[in-house]
Amino acid sequence: MSEEPRDVFRLSRDWLSVQEAVDAVNSTSCGAVSVFIGTTREDQVGSRKVIGLEYEAYESMAQSEFTKLCADIRERWPTVMHVCVHHRLGWVKVGEASVVMAISSPHRGDGQQAIQHCIEQLKANVPIWKKEVYDTQEASWKENLECRWSAHRQETPIINQQ
Amino acid sequence: MTANVLVLFFAQSRELTGLKQEEVAAVPTPISSQDLWRLLLRRHPRLSVLQDQVVLAVRQQYVAIGDQVVTLGDGDEVAVVPPLSGG
Repeated sequence: MSEEPRDVFRLSRDWLSVQEAVDAVNSTSCGAVSVFIGTTREDQVGSRKVIGLEYEAYESMAQSEFTKLCADIRERWPTVMHVCVHHRLGWVKVGEASVVMAISSPHRGDGQQAIQHCIEQLKANVPIWKKEVYDTQEASWKENLECRWSAHRQETPIINQQ
Repeated sequence: MTANVLVLFFAQSRELTGLKQEEVAAVPTPISSQDLWRLLLRRHPRLSVLQDQVVLAVRQQYVAIGDQVVTLGDGDEVAVVPPLSGG
């Protein structure tokens, strides 16, 4: 009896449960669950300290980009069974998790590689934005290095999708 | 031909325009992404802050600002997409 692979994506204003993400990918055919948790660092920017992050998303497109991302993962690592990504929206305090990902696979090699690729591609393609808020009440929008049209990138973006 | 589209503003573009979204009527179609961006700049000059660090999303497909021609239909979503920072 073969199991239907699941791709689970959820945006949540509540704190994230790692156990829920792990449970979402659980499978008796899998010997490995690979997990990544992204948490909010207390960065110091000059004399200002980060107190939290404010997240927003283009929700419908985040879902469709996640679907494409999962298809990409499954093409590269066909043994991957289930993929789950839970991402915060709204205010996330320093120390809290902003994203939890879990991927199940029969053996750990594919799952470990897939989870690295998953966070990289999420940062590059999924329409979510965060604003750093400082103890001075100032704020600044962040830009992922992975995003092809961020100011960090030197090359001209060539990202028109067919 | 023209189309009435729904423009969505996210992150910094939302702060620059003061809007989450607006209906824009009679947008020429087909139209290059460059011309579409210019049309938005005329409506909201403060968006120029994002020049060179922005793409559009037409019907939820990313489109770089440039020569690519897009066709628009009534009710299509056109999003202004500053650099991403998820994760």
